Amino acid sequence: MMNESTDILRFRDVTIAADYEHESGISSLNLSLAAGDLAVVLLEKEQVRFPLVDAAEGLVMPVQGMVTFLGEDWQMMAADRVTAQRGKIGRVFEGESWLSGLNVDQNITLAQRHHTRRPVQKIEQEATQLCRVFGLAGLPRGRPSNARWQDLQKAACVRALLGAPILILLENPTAGIYADVIAPLINTVCEARERGAAVLWTTNELQAWNNPELHATARWRVLGSPKCMIEEAKEAT
Amino acid sequence: MFVGLTEVAGGFQKTLMRVIGGLGETVWAQWDELCHAAAVIGTVLYVCVWPRYWVRTVRRAFVRQVVAIGVESVGLVCGVAVFVGITVVVQLAFWVAEAGQSQMLGPLLVAVVARELSPVLIGIVVIVRSGSAMATELGIMKIGGRVHVLEAQGISPFIYLVMPRVLAAAVSTFCLTIVFILVAFASGYLFGATVGKGSRDLLLLADTVSRAVRPKDVLAIFGKSILPALFASASCCIGGLGLGGSLTEVPQATQRALVRSVAGLFVISTVVSLLTYL
Repeated sequence: MMNESTDILRFRDVTIAADYEHESGISSLNLSLAAGDLAVVLLEKEQVRFPLVDAAEGLVMPVQGMVTFLGEDWQMMAADRVTAQRGKIGRVFEGESWLSGLNVDQNITLAQRHHTRRPVQKIEQEATQLCRVFGLAGLPRGRPSNARWQDLQKAACVRALLGAPILILLENPTAGIYADVIAPLINTVCEARERGAAVLWTTNELQAWNNPELHATARWRVLGSPKCMIEEAKEAT
Repeated sequence: MFVGLTEVAGGFQKTLMRVIGGLGETVWAQWDELCHAAAVIGTVLYVCVWPRYWVRTVRRAFVRQVVAIGVESVGLVCGVAVFVGITVVVQLAFWVAEAGQSQMLGPLLVAVVARELSPVLIGIVVIVRSGSAMATELGIMKIGGRVHVLEAQGISPFIYLVMPRVLAAAVSTFCLTIVFILVAFASGYLFGATVGKGSRDLLLLADTVSRAVRPKDVLAIFGKSILPALFASASCCIGGLGLGGSLTEVPQATQRALVRSVAGLFVISTVVSLLTYL
């Protein structure tokens, strides 16, 4: 791992209490991700609502410690700064994450259209290329409610990787489509790491966590105890 | 006997205190809601003057809302305006003619139709048609975690969801009010001229009405259409985004938001009328 000043994401002695959105908390977590790092976190199946990824984005505030993104504490940032910094993060969400009033393509490109001035055509070109990488015929155009859930899961990966995000948060990205999506996901994550992105990948699939092709810089697993939740399993190769 | 009277008096006092307490609680709750809505409206009006918040997704959301609230309501508003034109405008024209007060037609049309009736009717149409949709949609988004998804992507729900809706409601309501007034006058004139119950001279009617319009009438129409729309849309956004539990809360929250919006519409209309004409 790189030194603190170059960390993209850092949890410093972070304790987060469980709340109505997250069934479990985090206790005294120290974790850092520098450019090119990949941390894979194994979650128990029951613990689908774990606050780690939300905390990484400053959506859940710790009761103790701090979470920094590019050296800045989320709690100390002004509201406009928070939204701008979150625009540099790509994320696959656990569960339903599509705005029903927008088409799938509009959902995929929403953050890029919101945060950048790139021409829509260029954004769509990049999204289409990524869609093809993930095995979709092209950029899905219909409403999310009319799309197959497998396609939506792939589209979620496209959305997370679109626009060269500096931090990529993958919440169970292979859920239900492991065989279909693991190879392209590993390839695109490798490319992202090579250009300097950090990746935090949570999964409840042991085969994803153990996959040697990931070349993770750290592997963590969430323990069953409701107090001390997360522990580094081993240093990766 | 004396003890019995004391007990009755004590019971009455307790009931009275409970009623006063309940009333006070309701008043404070409404006051809190009012302050919340005022804060939302103030923030929207402050934020909307900064170009940096009008990124293309927000502009698009605003246009979508103008279409949903304004453009798609034009047919309904025109229909209501035709009925109002036939009933109110024709009757006014008929009765002022009967009373030999034809010169009063213009001021009466402006006062009754343009100034008082139009903003209230359009306010009700917008609240019923769009306010309910707004509160329901945002409530479902909030409970379904879509607001969380927006936040996680760095898209402020206030900028992307609330600001376009509140501004679009205000702009649309004002435009619909103008459409309503024009259609009501036109349909009233056409119907009256057809059945022979009013003046057949269109220019005379237009002249009478335009002469009767004073600056404070324009101000009143503006205030009575825009202020309730701002309040109603802010209330509906607060109602929807304030949810945090289950989907079963959505209908109740929508109902509360609509009741507040309709009450706000009448209160604001009355206050604006009093401020403008007293």
